Amino acid sequence: MGVLETRTSALTYVEAAHLARRVTFHPTRQRILSLVGKTPMEALNILLEPVSQPTPPTWWQDPAVFVDFSDAARKWPELQRWWVGHVLTTTSGIEKMVAFWHNHFTSDYITVYFAQFLVRQNRMFRENPWLFTNLSESIVGDPAMLIYLNGNQSVKGNPNENFAREWFELFSMGVGNYSEQDIVEASRAFTGWRVTTTGSSFSPQLFDAGEKTILGQTGTWGANDVIRITLQHPATAQFMARKIYRTFAATDTDDNAVVAELADKLVASNFNVRTAVAALVTSEWFYSTDIRGALIKSPLDLIIGLLSTLNISSIERRYVVDSLRGLTQEPFYPPTVEGWKGHHAWITSSTFPLRQRWAEALIAGRQFGTAASLKTEAGANLKSDLAALVRTLPDANDPSAVVRNVAELLLPLPLTQEQQTVLLEILLAGALDYEWNIEDDGFVTPRLGFLFTAIVRMPEFQLM
Amino acid sequence: MNRRSFISRAGATGLAIATIPGIVDSMTVQALAGGDKGLDALLAETDSVLVLIQMMGGNDGLNTVVPIENGKYYAGRPNIAIPKNKTLGLTSTLGLHPALAGFKALYDDEKLAIVQGVTYPNPDRSHFRGTDIWLTATDANVFGTTGWVGRYLGLSAPNFPTVLPEHPLAVQVGTSLSLGLLSTNGPMGVSFRDPDEFYRLVNTGGAIEEVPSSVQGDTPAGREVAFMRSIARAADVYAGIIKTAADAATSATATYPTTDIGAKLRVVSQLIRGGLKTRVYLISWANNNFDTHANQVAGDDPTTGAHANLLRELGDAVKVFLDDMQATGHGDRVSGMTFSEFGRRVAENGSLGTDHGTAAPLFVFGAKVNGGKVYGKDPNLEELDDRGDLLMDMDFREIYASVLLQWFGAQRTEAETVLYRDFAPNAPQLFGSPTALEHDGAPITIRSITPNPANGPVAIHVDMPASSEGHVIVRNIAGQHMITSVIEPWSGVAQLDVSTLPPSTYIVTTVVGSSTRHTTLTVTR
Repeated sequence: MGVLETRTSALTYVEAAHLARRVTFHPTRQRILSLVGKTPMEALNILLEPVSQPTPPTWWQDPAVFVDFSDAARKWPELQRWWVGHVLTTTSGIEKMVAFWHNHFTSDYITVYFAQFLVRQNRMFRENPWLFTNLSESIVGDPAMLIYLNGNQSVKGNPNENFAREWFELFSMGVGNYSEQDIVEASRAFTGWRVTTTGSSFSPQLFDAGEKTILGQTGTWGANDVIRITLQHPATAQFMARKIYRTFAATDTDDNAVVAELADKLVASNFNVRTAVAALVTSEWFYSTDIRGALIKSPLDLIIGLLSTLNISSIERRYVVDSLRGLTQEPFYPPTVEGWKGHHAWITSSTFPLRQRWAEALIAGRQFGTAASLKTEAGANLKSDLAALVRTLPDANDPSAVVRNVAELLLPLPLTQEQQTVLLEILLAGALDYEWNIEDDGFVTPRLGFLFTAIVRMPEFQLM
Repeated sequence: MNRRSFISRAGATGLAIATIPGIVDSMTVQALAGGDKGLDALLAETDSVLVLIQMMGGNDGLNTVVPIENGKYYAGRPNIAIPKNKTLGLTSTLGLHPALAGFKALYDDEKLAIVQGVTYPNPDRSHFRGTDIWLTATDANVFGTTGWVGRYLGLSAPNFPTVLPEHPLAVQVGTSLSLGLLSTNGPMGVSFRDPDEFYRLVNTGGAIEEVPSSVQGDTPAGREVAFMRSIARAADVYAGIIKTAADAATSATATYPTTDIGAKLRVVSQLIRGGLKTRVYLISWANNNFDTHANQVAGDDPTTGAHANLLRELGDAVKVFLDDMQATGHGDRVSGMTFSEFGRRVAENGSLGTDHGTAAPLFVFGAKVNGGKVYGKDPNLEELDDRGDLLMDMDFREIYASVLLQWFGAQRTEAETVLYRDFAPNAPQLFGSPTALEHDGAPITIRSITPNPANGPVAIHVDMPASSEGHVIVRNIAGQHMITSVIEPWSGVAQLDVSTLPPSTYIVTTVVGSSTRHTTLTVTR
């Protein structure tokens, strides 16, 4: 028996919230309640419900016109709004996997230029969010990737090393497990692809069919052989297991026994990522108190999560894209091919107050910085109805219960007694607790504003 | 209670603001030095500013400092080589990329030094490992978690972050914070794009009381909360100080280019001119722009294109910056250095670009730099490694040692602590005068202070003529006398105990007859 013993007992509210925060962008109270009493596996199956492809932008299959770049850049913001809109309205955790792969097999719109190729790549991640082998095989000839890492310029006799290097370093094994010579040989195996106006094509005459030695195995290898050989190497399962661990469990320190077990699950399932994720988040270990709040939210987690928790279903997409950019996670624009580094890189002396100001602005119904104005999709002013939200919580007429229940909704950790006391003071704002009347909108609305604002300012709110 | 009161409350539980040890203004320098030139020089060192410019992505060194007489260079790069007659002449064998007119002017003015062939043994061709190695200053096989700048600055702020220096020791202009600025006690600097924006960001939270943190147990979440609170506190404390400095700066005499690097250097200039006592500024491009695998030159003209544009952005901005510093009286205390995780392959690839390589030149600039010179050998294209990449001429940590010893006046033991090894013997003399405080009188040298930093007994070893008599005086940065200890004539060693001194940086003065020597000692707890 490994360290990841499957948990079969029913989830409490706090545990269900923990699971929903980790595997989806939408940890709403309603969603959490629907999971209470279920086993982790039952709950996970609900959270990872299959999704259909969103309607793509009308231009997504327009030919890329390589001589006329003027029109292409106009599609970038449309591309961003399109995906972000889908993330906003899709509760399934599959969309978190789409974000996971976007951060793994990275591409950015400045380099790729043609937004239709990024729509296509995004659809590919959603089409196949779990099978790493197939996804790797598809990414080699993916037009966005061919442009991003120069596969498009890599031909027999003159291979470009860019993709081959990142294949080993960032996409599969991690540094230290392959040689410079492996990169050279693999770059030859990855030749043959060309971007076309509508996608990509493989031309045998551009492909270097000669003999190559990859990680010690010699043959007339092609791209799928490189992938097969790389995935046979134990470092690949370890590398992917660690990434899954740091995405879903904790980033501060790695529990190497857990990572090793996840690696075993990947190997045993022929790299079915779902098997590993499920083993992780349905384990007894995952529900230990040490794992609660052990992750720093990405801007996507923060922004989509708070919107969703506040039941804001309609918001101008441009505002969400601007917010993500402001908090340094602009969609389709990772800083480097390594993707967003995450963890402490999310939090700096600038981004920490930015995150606080962003959340406060949303609570107050004010726009954030220079972002587009805070409106619903229909163009009405957007203000979350905190009183209505709190009325759905139990004991809404007891201010202490309000503090506790709102905190439970927004924070991954229980309040300390001191925090509970201070937050209650903030909520009451000079009133006595018997004066609290949840039906009195004029009385409670500003006070709930104080409470929510105080909570979203807490460092604990940045955790999940 | 408003959010400000959080700071005062936190003060009661340990937050304090200290005068930056090791940083004193010129008034104090004069008062303290009292005509002692050696001490004057030592203290003056402490307001030296270093500006680091990171060229992310791996700069193509051979097309930056072009080996114009090297047939192998032209043979390996039929489509992208810079023609000799287009380069800006440096030496009989080297020319600068024509987009580096700004650097050429600085070179001619002896304010720019070029160091050739910089890398490290077993260079890594990964962007991320390469960058981390440069920032952490470790060997290629070591995965470090702190940066060389952070470790150096950490020496002068031993109780960070409980006790915050008066001014931020490091500033990164941008929203991210570099690994290079991390010490074991957390980030030694703050990052922001614009002083006014930063101030507004930190100070528009409204009058809602700060909620105390949950018990910071030694759990992952507890550690993350502690991390965020320390970041938030530094932002709270420094946003106002930074804005004050930015507001105090008289309007710039210089017109900065409206490029990314130009705008960032304009902010650096504003803060320096406004009196911010920050020691190290770090600026960088936001992406791996120098990763020129394809189309690094335009198809019809190898002197134009993506790489040329980046070099022009760099050279033009640095030229304006140094002119600005000179014109506003800060020229002598500001130096800078460029760096990039690796150079690029000698031979071009098939995409009008170059793949990842190894050794490359870097630039050191400033009025006090021994400029107008090329340090190190011209690239040797006859002897390449098995990948067709350049071999190492200089270890980047030798350049860091030059900066620490000659620019910041660090002691050799301090530099060794920071760089994990003694790189002093091969550190090129890149800066005007090191803090070798030679004086009239008997030839004496402070050979070592061990340990340093210290928290208990310290041995100061002085090389002096046989049977001379002397003593060592320890003063704090305000000039107050703390300890005197006699040097034993037969061993040349003075023993003292610093366990009762508050953590800070102290001035150690050795007096033998009419000779004095000065250096610094850091006390930690």
